[in-house]
Amino acid sequence: MSEILNFGRENLAFKQLRKRSAFLFLLIALFGSITFFQIIKLTILDSNLYTTKSDENRIIRIPIYPSRGLIKLSNGEIVVENIVTQALTIVPNKTSDLELTLEELKQNLGLKDEELLTFKRKLSKTKYKYDSIVIVENLTKEQIARFSVEKEKWPSVSIKAQLMRFNLLGPIFSHVTGYVGLVSPEEIDESEDFSYPFTSQIGKTGVEKFYEGTLRGGEGFRTIEIDAYGKEVRELARFIPEQGKDIYLSLDKELQVLARNELAGRKGAVVALDPNTGLIKALVSSPDFSPNILNKTETGKVENILIDSQSPLFNRAISGNYPPASTLKPFIGLLGVKEKKINWTTTIEDQGFFQIDGKGRKYRGWKEDGHGTVNLSKSIIESSDVFFYHLATQLTVDSISNFLKQFGFGRKTGVDLSSETEGLLPDRKWKLGAIGESWFVGDTINISIGQGYISCSPLQLAVAVSSIATKGKVYRPRVVAKIEDQFTEKQVIYHLNQIEKSHWEKLENSMVSVISHWKGTAHNLTEFGQETIAGKTGTAQIKSLTDAELTVKEEYEDIRLEERNRDHALFVGYGPLPDPELTVVVIVENGESGSTVAAPIAQRLIDFYADRED
Amino acid sequence: MSEKAPLGYQLNTTLGKSKLTLIKLFIDPILVLSILALLVFGLFVLYSASGQSTSMLQKQALYVVFGLVMMFFISRLDQTVYKSFLMHLFWIGLILLLWVLIFPAEGYKADRWIDLGFINFQPSEVLRLLLPLAAASYLTRGHRKLALKDWLITLSAIFLCSFLIYKQPDLGTALIVLASGCIPVLLAGFPLIILLVFLILIGATSPFIWANLSPYMQQRVITLFNPESDLLGAGWNISQSKTAIGSGGISGKGYLNGTQSQLDFVPEGHSDFIFSVIGEEFGFLGIFLLFLIYSLLLFRVFSIAFNSSTEFSRLAATSIGFIFLLYILINVSMTVGTLPVVGVPLPLISQGGTAIVIHLVAFGFVLSMKKRQTW
Repeated sequence: MSEILNFGRENLAFKQLRKRSAFLFLLIALFGSITFFQIIKLTILDSNLYTTKSDENRIIRIPIYPSRGLIKLSNGEIVVENIVTQALTIVPNKTSDLELTLEELKQNLGLKDEELLTFKRKLSKTKYKYDSIVIVENLTKEQIARFSVEKEKWPSVSIKAQLMRFNLLGPIFSHVTGYVGLVSPEEIDESEDFSYPFTSQIGKTGVEKFYEGTLRGGEGFRTIEIDAYGKEVRELARFIPEQGKDIYLSLDKELQVLARNELAGRKGAVVALDPNTGLIKALVSSPDFSPNILNKTETGKVENILIDSQSPLFNRAISGNYPPASTLKPFIGLLGVKEKKINWTTTIEDQGFFQIDGKGRKYRGWKEDGHGTVNLSKSIIESSDVFFYHLATQLTVDSISNFLKQFGFGRKTGVDLSSETEGLLPDRKWKLGAIGESWFVGDTINISIGQGYISCSPLQLAVAVSSIATKGKVYRPRVVAKIEDQFTEKQVIYHLNQIEKSHWEKLENSMVSVISHWKGTAHNLTEFGQETIAGKTGTAQIKSLTDAELTVKEEYEDIRLEERNRDHALFVGYGPLPDPELTVVVIVENGESGSTVAAPIAQRLIDFYADRED
Repeated sequence: MSEKAPLGYQLNTTLGKSKLTLIKLFIDPILVLSILALLVFGLFVLYSASGQSTSMLQKQALYVVFGLVMMFFISRLDQTVYKSFLMHLFWIGLILLLWVLIFPAEGYKADRWIDLGFINFQPSEVLRLLLPLAAASYLTRGHRKLALKDWLITLSAIFLCSFLIYKQPDLGTALIVLASGCIPVLLAGFPLIILLVFLILIGATSPFIWANLSPYMQQRVITLFNPESDLLGAGWNISQSKTAIGSGGISGKGYLNGTQSQLDFVPEGHSDFIFSVIGEEFGFLGIFLLFLIYSLLLFRVFSIAFNSSTEFSRLAATSIGFIFLLYILINVSMTVGTLPVVGVPLPLISQGGTAIVIHLVAFGFVLSMKKRQTW
C-alpha cells in the first residue's frame, strides 16, 4: 500500500520536477536571449565601432621632433647650438604627496627655494597634470648621482635628457639671435602646421622667433602599438620629420664686438649694414643680456633681466622710437630741391631764430647767434635749423610725409627680426586722430628738423641713409645671409628714380663736408678718421626748447643736469667714399652730443670695416 | 548461403562491440566527448589568453587530468553509495567555510582560500556543487511528501553558507552559491506562494540591505547599472571586454591575434573574462560553436536526468544541469555587459583548478546517475 502511495508521490514529484524545470528553463532562456542579442549587437551590428575602439586602444601616434637648426656666422662659426642637459621632471598626478616629495628632493639634491617656487607657480598654471613637468633644468653631475642612488623613493620623478639652446657668444649677438622659452598656450593655439608639446621651447625674440619654422623643422611621427600598460610593443609606421635648417647670419663678429665695445654699456644702438645688399653687418642694442639665462642653459636670474630699469631685453635698434633730429635734414633738403621750392644756391639769413611771417613765436635754432648767410649745403654742414624752418613753411606736411614714406619712415623695413617698430610719420589725419587737433605750421617746422611727432628706429634711419649712399636704391635689411645652402635674396624695397643724380651728388658732398669742412658739425672726426665718410650729426631733444621760457641758457644747463633729460646723440653716415660699403647709424641715449659721442663710433666702424677689407 | 559471414557483417560486429566498450567506459559518449571538446578548446584559449604562458597551461592541464580521473572514478559509483554521504558532506563544507574566516590564508586579498601547501582551493567553489547536491539528497531522503520543516532546514543551510561566503567578503560567489542551493529547492517543488512572499520581502528591505553593503560591493552594483560611471575602475573591465568581443566581429581576429587580449587590455582574460578572448579571436562563429557544444552537453545532462531511476538522481542531475547553465549565462552576460561583474568563471574553460575539478566531479555524478542498460 505504502509502495503504491510512494509510487504515486514519486510520479507527482517527477511531474513537478518537469514543470519546474520548464519554468526555470524559460526564465533562463528569457534572460539568455537578452545576452544573446547583446552578443549579436557587439559582434555584428556594432562591430566596426568596437574595431575602431580596439585600434584606438593599442595604436598611438608619437610625434618626432627634429633637433633645432643651428645659428651660425657666414664663415661657419656656430653662434647658437643645441646642448644636452639633464632636467629633473615630475608627473604631479603620480605622486601621493607632492609637498613631501618636493621637500625630500630639496634636501637630497640641494634644490633652491626659488627653484621650487618657480616650479610651483608653473604647476599652478598647467592643466596637464598627467604629463611630466620640469622641476629644475641643468642638473649637475652630483645632483644626477644623488638622485640615481635614491630614485626608487620617488617613482613619479625622473631625469630626462633634453636639448637646450646655448649661445656660444653669450650676449654679443643677443638682440639678433634672441632667445627661446617655454611655449605658451596662446602660441600652441596659434600654431597651425605644428603641434607643439606643451613642454617644448619656442623662439621668443630675434632670429629664434622670426625663423622659428625654419629652425624648428617639421613634425614627424611614429605609429606604435602599445599594450595596456602603455609599453611599446612594436612600431607600425614612421614618418621622418623634416630637419630643422641651419641659419647663417650676415653679421660680422668683429664689427659687432667693436660696436658693442664702443657703446660700452651705455643705452643706445648701433646699426651697420651694407647699403648695396641690405645685409646687416652689426646690430647692437645696449645694454644687452645673456640669452643663455633665458634659454635656461646658464644659471642666473631671469627676473633680474626683466626688472632691470635699463630694459636690456628691449631691442633699441629695431624697436626703439627716436626723434631723427638733425639727421632728417638731408631728406627735407632733398625734398625742397626736388619740389623746386629751393635750389642749391638759395640762401637765407640765419640770425638764430625764425618767426612765421616775421612775427609771433620765435623758433630758435640750436646756435643762439645763428649761422649767418646759409644755403642748403651749408645748413647741412653746420646744421642750421633756421634754414629748414624757412623751407618748412614752403612745404606742406602732406608732401613731407609722402616723401619721407618713400625712404621707409613710418613703416616697417621688413627686416627678418620680430617686433620691429613702424616708427611714426605724422600727417594731418594722424594728428586729428591721435591728438585730436588740426595740423599747425609749427608742427611742420618741428618736423623739418626731425623733432616733434616724428620718430623712427635706428634701423629705419640706416635704411633711409643707405638710399643716399646708393643714389636712390634701397634694399630690404636682413640679418640672415643663408639658410642651409640657400642664399637669401636681396630685395629692392624702394627705388627713388625721380630724383636727379646731381641732387644726390650734391647732397653727398654736403654730408662729406659735415666732416671735412672746418665748420662741419663732425669735423672732429678728421682728428683720427682714416676713411672719407659722408654723415650727419643729430641731437635729439628730450625737453622741448622751443618754449619761450626755456630759452635762457642757464635753465638749459639746469635741466641737463639730470641724465635722463639729456639729449640723445645721433649720427648717421656711410663710407668709405667713393664706393660706400657700410652705412652706420649710432644712437647714444642721453649722449648729448652727436658729434663727439655718436659720430666717432661710426667713423671707427667704417675705418675698421674698410681697413680689414683691404 | 555462404558459411562464412560476409565481411561487412564481421566489421559491424566489431564496430558494435567497440561501441559497446566505449559506452561501458564512458557511460555517455556524447556527454563525455563534448566535455573533452570543451576542455581541449579551453586549454587552447587559455594558452592565448594567458599571454602564451606554458606554465599556466601545464598547471591547468594537470587539474584537467585530475578532474577527469575524478569524473571517471565517480561515474563508476552507484548513487546509493554516496547519496546519504553527500548530505553529511555538507557539514565538512560548513567547517571549511568557517575555517577560512577564522584562519585566513596569508597573501590573499579576501579570506577565500585554504592553503594546504601543495594545493590551495576555495571552499566556496566546493560549496557551489556540494550545497545543491546535499540539498537534493536531503529533500529526497524520506520518500514522503515534504513538509514546511524540510524547506526551512534546507533554506537555512543554504542561507548560512551564503552568509559565510558574503562575509569573506565575496558578494558574487555568495549570490551564486545562494542560487545554486535554491535550484534543487525550487525544482523539488518549493511552494511558490512562500517564494512570492519572500521576494516581496526582499524588495521591501532592499534599501536597508544596500545601506549595509560594503562600499566595494556597492561599487559593483553601481557599475552594473552604469558601467561608464567608472571608466578607470570596474567599468574599465566591462568596456574593454565589450570592445574585445565587438572588435572580433563575425569571424574573429584569429587565434593568438586578438589585440585586446594579447596586449592585456582585457582584464582577467585568462579567468573571468576568457569569453572576451574567445569572442575577439574566434568571433561570433566561435561563440556560436561554443554555445553549440555547451547545448549538446546540457542536452545530454538533462536527458540523463529525466531518464534517471530515482527521485534523488533526477533532482540532483537536473540541478547540476541548471547550475551549469546558470554559470554559463552569468559569465557570458557579465562579459558582454548585461550583468554585473561577479566572479564566475566560464565553466570548463576559464583558468582555475578548483572550478574545473568541481565541474568534472559534478559530471561524474551525472554519469553515475545514468540509467544503466543491461550490459
